[in-house]
Amino acid sequence: MSLQMLPPGQETPDVQVSWEDQQRINGFSKLNSRLSELEDQYRQKQDENEYLEDIATEIELVDEDEVVQYKIGNTFYWLKQSEVVERLEKQTDIAAAELNDLEIKVRSIKDEMDELKTVLYKKFGNAINLER
Amino acid sequence: MAASSAPKMPGQPGYVNPRGIPQAPFIEVVEDYVRNRDQVQSVLQSFQEMLSKYKYMEMSTLRRAAGLQEKIPDIQNTLDSVLFLDSKRNVDESTLTTTYELNDTLYAKANISPSDTVYLWLGANVMLEYPIAEATDLLTSKLHAAKESLKTCQEDLEFLRENITTVEVNTARVYNWDVQQRREEKQLVR
Repeated sequence: MSLQMLPPGQETPDVQVSWEDQQRINGFSKLNSRLSELEDQYRQKQDENEYLEDIATEIELVDEDEVVQYKIGNTFYWLKQSEVVERLEKQTDIAAAELNDLEIKVRSIKDEMDELKTVLYKKFGNAINLER
Repeated sequence: MAASSAPKMPGQPGYVNPRGIPQAPFIEVVEDYVRNRDQVQSVLQSFQEMLSKYKYMEMSTLRRAAGLQEKIPDIQNTLDSVLFLDSKRNVDESTLTTTYELNDTLYAKANISPSDTVYLWLGANVMLEYPIAEATDLLTSKLHAAKESLKTCQEDLEFLRENITTVEVNTARVYNWDVQQRREEKQLVR
């Protein structure tokens, strides 16, 4: 993503960049880095969510009174299956809410970036490149 | 640097962010900045210097953010463990069986009897005993502080990114102006 340097020999219109344009470009650049950060977080949460879903079906195979080792921090605690199920459910709820939250954030940033893109491409055309 | 003048708003020339990072100058009209082509080299070089300063700050801020991003889950894990112990303490009196990490990749079994206190490693070879409630408070405030400084790091990174972009755009524009001038000169010669 950048304002292109002129290759020698190419005709370009002399575009004036106003302070507003510069701020739009900066805004785009800022949103772009924010987006990659959030997308990383989103992927991580998605993995976490999948693990939790896998474990939810897996733990159903264990008898209710049987003891399972459940990890909190760096330690495994010997807990009854029923209690672990309860804790996992809570964890799943939290993870799902966080995933949803991230999704909303990612979408709103993308919308904002699209808006800036339209304005900037309209003004600068080929002189600017806003693709990732 | 600009301590004598009144604080500037973001976007105003001469603005300095709360952590003292200066805002890059914006070029409204290239001709105001570069009078003739002889100046192009030195102006481009000054942009290059600015850019490497911003990049340097970006690198060190990224490092700091990475450190915090590692620290935050650690604190969270400790807090979760303390909260868990607390929840167990209130429910039943029996001992808790655990498998704990004695060393890297080496686990051992331990029984924990209910306790009103925990020990927190404070760093620098110091460990202190805390009542559970106090430990929770301490960890919560540590967690909060770490999250706050991560937030400022991210703010700084975004501010740096914006200024790097400004300088990059400045560079491209001065460069393009130079190319344009050269072209016009050539046409004049013809």
